[in-house]
Parts: sequence; structure tokens; C-alpha cells
Amino acid sequence: MISVLAIGLVVVTSLVIGVYGVRAARSTSDFLVASRRVSPTWNAMAIAGEYLSAASVLGLAGLVLKNGLGTMWYAVGFAAGYVAVVALVAGPMRRSGAFTVPDFAEYRLGAPRLRKLCGCVVLVIMLLYLVPQFKGAGVVLALVSGTPYWVGVLLAGLVVSGSIAAGGMRSATYVQAFHYVVKLVFLAVPAIYLVVHSSPHTRSEALTPERGTHFPEATPVEFTVGTRFSLDEPVTVTVPDGGEVELAAGEHIADAGTEYVFPEGATIPRPEGLPELGGERWSTPLLDVGGYPLFETWSALLAITLGCMGLPHVIMRFHTSPTARTARRVAVGVIALLGMFYLFPAVYGLLGRVLTPHLVLLQGTDTVAVVLPEQAVPGTVGAVLAALVAAGAFGAFLSTSSGLLLALAGGLSHDLFQGSVPRLRLAVAVGACVAVLLALPAQMTDINVLVVWAFTVAASTFSPLLVLGIWWRRLTLPGAASGLVVGTVTATGAVGWSMLLPTAGGWTSVLLAQPAAWTIPLAFATMMLVSRLTRPPDWAEHAVLRLHSP
Amino acid sequence: MRQVHSLGIDLQDGLHGRKVPSAARRLRRLLAVDGVVLADLDGPVAVDGRQPDPQESEGLLAQVFEYGSNARARLADGTSVCAVPLTVDDELAGALVASGDPVEADVEAAAALVSDCLDHAALRRARARIAAADLRTLRAQISPHFMHNALAVIAALVRTDPDRARHLLSDFADYLRYGFSEKGDYATLSEELEATQTYLELQRARFHDRLDITVRMAPEVLPVAIPFLVVQPIVENAIRHGLERKEGRGHISVSGFGEGPLCVIEIEDDGVGMHPDLARSLLAGTGPESRSVGLANVDQRLRAVYGPEYGLVIETALGEGTKVTVRVPRFTRGVVAQ
Repeated sequence: MISVLAIGLVVVTSLVIGVYGVRAARSTSDFLVASRRVSPTWNAMAIAGEYLSAASVLGLAGLVLKNGLGTMWYAVGFAAGYVAVVALVAGPMRRSGAFTVPDFAEYRLGAPRLRKLCGCVVLVIMLLYLVPQFKGAGVVLALVSGTPYWVGVLLAGLVVSGSIAAGGMRSATYVQAFHYVVKLVFLAVPAIYLVVHSSPHTRSEALTPERGTHFPEATPVEFTVGTRFSLDEPVTVTVPDGGEVELAAGEHIADAGTEYVFPEGATIPRPEGLPELGGERWSTPLLDVGGYPLFETWSALLAITLGCMGLPHVIMRFHTSPTARTARRVAVGVIALLGMFYLFPAVYGLLGRVLTPHLVLLQGTDTVAVVLPEQAVPGTVGAVLAALVAAGAFGAFLSTSSGLLLALAGGLSHDLFQGSVPRLRLAVAVGACVAVLLALPAQMTDINVLVVWAFTVAASTFSPLLVLGIWWRRLTLPGAASGLVVGTVTATGAVGWSMLLPTAGGWTSVLLAQPAAWTIPLAFATMMLVSRLTRPPDWAEHAVLRLHSP
Repeated sequence: MRQVHSLGIDLQDGLHGRKVPSAARRLRRLLAVDGVVLADLDGPVAVDGRQPDPQESEGLLAQVFEYGSNARARLADGTSVCAVPLTVDDELAGALVASGDPVEADVEAAAALVSDCLDHAALRRARARIAAADLRTLRAQISPHFMHNALAVIAALVRTDPDRARHLLSDFADYLRYGFSEKGDYATLSEELEATQTYLELQRARFHDRLDITVRMAPEVLPVAIPFLVVQPIVENAIRHGLERKEGRGHISVSGFGEGPLCVIEIEDDGVGMHPDLARSLLAGTGPESRSVGLANVDQRLRAVYGPEYGLVIETALGEGTKVTVRVPRFTRGVVAQ
């Protein structure tokens, strides 16, 4: 109940800020204040607020718990992406005056058709990014209010599209900056409290994981989905009607709806395909899902770092800076703010392994940050802390998905069709509907897997377009178009294949699940090769010059 | 037919465009001859297929340009060459030369076609020039109104409140520098707001401070480039026709925010308002003479820059105040604040 209240409070506050929080001036001298640009600090906070999505607030902690320490590389990538943005695109993008990537494509290559193509790619990326946000909001809402998952997703869709329709993004800068504070505080306070108040034993166990984690107390585990798991030693569990069932060592299949109570001290069963919690593979600081840790780590890092610059809603934020210098300062500020934030998902992940390891069994690791406080600190304090985290997570969902939905709607109404305001509103509604529909079957998919998919597509399409468009005069229209098509098809197709169809395992499945390492070079190569074969437009020299002259 | 249509596209930048060689190739195919030369008054600009002996073709061109009529010559190998003048707006602009026994009537028809294309190209260039000139005229139209009012206000204050008059005069100087700057046709919204501030400062002096102002600006739209003097004339209109005739205090609010890819600026006053029909006729430019300048002008310029769907939106009724909404895309190719 407290959680629902806290979430409601976050929603209402951000709506109020969004509608009325624009700087108001009542005398003529205030005009000057109103016409002055926003400071880099506010801007950096706004960018960080929009960027920190459910993937960072919920997904990361869940992945640390489930797949091990190596998943912290995602956080490294999310922050490092801004280094690439500062170094390669922030300044020139601002000088071009372009607001979105399709704008930039039109500025640089001057073709309305390319604009349409870019609009399509924006749609793909934004949908891939929106679905996990809705999934995150759905699980959080379902968890705190006890409703089924689909109600949560539907509610999330209504809240976000309703708040946009009510004008909640009119003053996007202040809303997003507010959301950054919400996320940081609401995640940091419970995390610090948990660290301080957990027993020394828990702390040491969190930092020096032992092989094979045990249930800290007798724990009821209700399987909401059918799960295949294996046991290293036999264990006797209690079933709801009071009887006892002896589970032998080896493979077991629990059907959806099964409920077992594991006794205190029993070894946590290991779901199929996952590393042993606290085991060697779990503790190795490399991403290891398919068996080729070094390649997977590099590929994911490349996807996230380069994908950041290609995300449509990230790039448009640098337009607000008055000079290229401030644009870069803003980006550096963002890196600091992100770095500060990413300390906390790690805390939840590490403590979660000790205190709530059964989430792995339930395939519900995305909820660890919300479940953990109540497990660790029973009573009112725990409920309040859980409410804070839930509200922070919902804030993350609200800020990111509002930004994404607006970018998606903008792409729909502005790039693909000739835009008008009713169309923009319609596009917001359509985008929200599609995202909700796609999020409904995604309950069991990890938030971060979907987010990294979106980053991979962005890295294989817009990042070559921006990098080559800014730094290479010879880029041509056919080159850019073919690179975009190749990047979209390969990146979307590879990850989609690995998620929806069974793969043989080994190298093929790793290459499909983490395709960035080959799709990005492929997209770059296609753009350069086709550009070499065709003639650049006459104004290329001039357009590139303007991007770089101060 | 497709060849002919493509010929028109190839020649849309005139005889010195990028695609003239491709036009020459199309002409050679259309005429089914060995070679085609397109020449302007200085000599050949594009050659396709067999190239006639330079001396021979120069002589032929000189003959065409001198008499303005067709010329024919027989080459050493027995084939014949035919040259036909190209005219744009009844003036000689070049020549079309076909070699390899062409049918003269065909070449003439082709030359007429090319002439038409060149004519279109010239018209298109002229139209772009006129649109640009229109924009400048419209921009210049606004200033005299305001200059007159401003100077009158300052003149009225010179004796009673010399300090304020001096202050206003320096504001006015800033405003003029903005209004007359030759840097380009666009400014950022924040610059435009500063100019509007100066204007409002002057108007408040005239209204003896019975004017309330509210400004709400979302900071992310401040750097958006908009045409010069879009907000100020609307504010001016609100004051002149909405608040001036109203008894007591008047209130005017200017707000700006982003709406996806659009930037929205709303100017609202609680003045006397107007009949919706009048608003409609104002935008159509058919309103009463005294009021026809401001809004219609801004509306036309916005449409000229951004396209017909981005005109002004006026919501008003008698006695209910007026709200004018400007919607512009945040980015439009070619619209850059200097």
C-alpha cells in the first residue's frame, strides 16, 4: 500500500513539474531570465534522468544476482557510451542544428527518403527499448499491488500516455532532472540502509561469495512459470498441504503453480543454463552466458558504448546547450552522475545473492531491488524502503518511456508522415499500445537483454551514420542507406533469432545473441564501400565544414 | 515519354547543371544520331557520342549565333551536321548540334523541347528569388509601425522621466540592431524573446504600467531557430488590438514548450478579443486595412519557411481575449540561426 502511494506521489509530482514547472516570469526583466539557457548541471541531470531506465534501476541488479559479477560491464558500457558521445558527436551534432538523427541525415545528405528510412530505424530501436521499460513497470506494479502482470503493464501504459497527453513533458528538462534525483535518492537511501543494517556475516558473505548458496531461512518458493532446475544434493521440501516431498539430486521440472517450502540451510537449486550462484563462473568478472566470456564482454561493451550515441532520445538533448564547449561539459557531467548512480545496482545484486537467492529459481531476478528490502528488514521500515525503491523504479520507467514515446511519436508523425499535432498525439497512443502489446508476452525476458538489443541496433545503424557523417566527407546517400538497411536487418535479425528460435549452442548462438562485434563493423564497411562506389553530394564539403568550424 | 520527362529533370538547373551530360545522352538516343553537342553562347558544355571536328563545330555555332537560325554542314566523311539555336525567353541562349545525318525537323523539335526546359529552369530560379525577396519585404514591413510607436513613447517621457527615457532609448537601440541585423533570416527563440522584452518595456511605459506580463519558457526550446520577428508582432497585435481598448489592467502571457519534434509558442491576452470571422479574414490578408499587417505577415512567412501546415492558429471570441499559437518544427533544413 505504501508503495502504491509512493508511486502515485512520484507520478503526480512529475506531472505538476511537467505542466507548471517551466520557468515563469512576471515582469519584463524576468524575460531575460526566462530567455537564458539552462545551466549545464541541470542539463546533465536531465540527460542522466532520461537515460537511467528500468534497465539500470531494476535490470542490472537482477542480472548481477542471476548471471554474476561480469554483468557489471553493462554499467560500464552505459556510462562509457557518453565518452563516445562527447568525443565523437556532441559538439558537431549541436552545430548542425539537427534535433534528431533523421534531421541530421537530412542535413548531411539532403534526401527526404533517407529521412523516412531513418524514421523506420527509430521506430525499431524505440520499440525494442520501450518494451523492457513497460515490462519493468509491469513487474513492479504487479509486485506492489498484487495484481497480475498484465494489469501492471496496462496501467503503466495508461499512466505514461496520459501524462504526456496532459502536458507532462512540456518542461522536459526539469521533469527529467527531478527524475534523476528521485532515482538516485530512492535507490541510494535503501541501499545504504541495507548495507549499514545487515549483519557483518551477510556483508562478508556478499563480498566473498562461497560456492553454492544456501537458503538463509525456510523459504516458500512458488513457481509462476515452469522451471527446470538441478539439485546437487537431495533435499526434503514441504508442500502446501503439509506433506513432505523428497527431491533427489539431479534434474527436476517444476510445473507452473508448484509451491515448495525449502528448509533453512538447503542448497539453492540451480535453474538450467545458469551459473552456480557464487561459483567460479559467477564470480569471474566477465560476461559469460554462452561460454565465450571474452568475446561476449567485448561485443556487449561495443554495442552499449556505440549504441548510446545512436539512441534517438539521447542525441536530441545536446541541442539545448548554447555552445559546443558546454555540450561537452554537459556530457562529462552526465558521466559523473551515471557513475555515481551505478554504485547502487551492484549493492542490490550482491546483497540479493545472499538474502533473496530464490528469485533466480522464479525467473524473477528483475524484481530483486524491490523484494530485497522487505526480506532484509522485516516490518514497517522494510515496507517503506521497498516503497522507495518501487517509486524510484517507476520514476525510471516514467522518465525514460516518456522520452522514448515522444521520440517515437515524433518519428512516426514527423519523419514518416507529414506531421500535425493531432497526429502526434495519436502517434503517442499508438506507440504506447504497441509497446504494451509487445510487453505482455515478455514477462520472462530479462530487461537488460531487450535493452542491449536496442543498443545493438542503434550501434549498428545510427552510430556509423553519425560517425561517418560527421568525420568522413565521402559519405553518400546510397552508402548511408545501404549501411542502415544492413545494420538494421542483421542486428535485429540476429538477436531476434537467438531469442525466438532454438539455436545449436556454441559459437553460432553466441554470435547471434551478442552480434554487435560483427554487425557494427559490417554496417561501417557497407557504408564506406557503397560510398566509395558513388559520388558524394556537392555540398558535402560545406556541410562537414559547418559541423567542425567553431 | 519517360525519356522526355527525364530530360526535363536533367535540365532543371539550366545548361550549367550537374546532369547536362546525361541530358545530352538522352537527346542523342531520342534523335537516334551519332553525336549530340549542347552549347551555350561560350561554346560546347556537353558532348555525347561522336564529337565533330572542333573547327567545324565552332564554325557552325558561330553561324547559328550570328544569324539565329539553323545551320547545316557536310563533313569530310559524307555525313551531315545540323545545328539549331536554343532560345530562352526569346533570347538566344545556346545551340543544339546533332551529327550523323539527322532529320532537321527532328532536331528543331528537340531544340524546342530543350528551350522549354531551360525556360522552366530560369522560371524556377526566378521564383526562388522572388520568394526570398518577399520574405525580406515582409520583414521590413513590420518595423515602421513599431518604430513610430516607440519614438512617440520615448518623446512623451523625455520631459517627465528622462532617466527612463534614456533607458528605453538604449533598449530601442538594441532592438533596432536586432531587427535590422543583416546576418540572416533566422534567430534563436531566446534572441527573439529578448527583442520582445524590449518591445514590452516600451509598451509598458505607454500603458503607464497597467500591463501584466507572464512568460513561461521550457528551456529546451530556447535554442530553436525561428524566422526573425515572429513573436514580437503577435505580442504587438495583442497589445494594439486586444489590450489597448480594454478598460483597466491587461494581462499578456507568452509561453513556449516542446511537443515532440515541434516547438510551440503561445501568446495569450485577456483583451477585448475579436469575432472569429475577423480573425479568419486577418489571416487571409483580406481584413481591414489598418490591421492587415501584423498577423497575416507572420502567418505568410511561417508558411513560406515551413510549409502550408505550419501557419498561425488564432483562438478568439468577442470579449474573450485572444490566443495565438505558433507551431514550428525544431529543425528544418536551411533554417539556422546565425
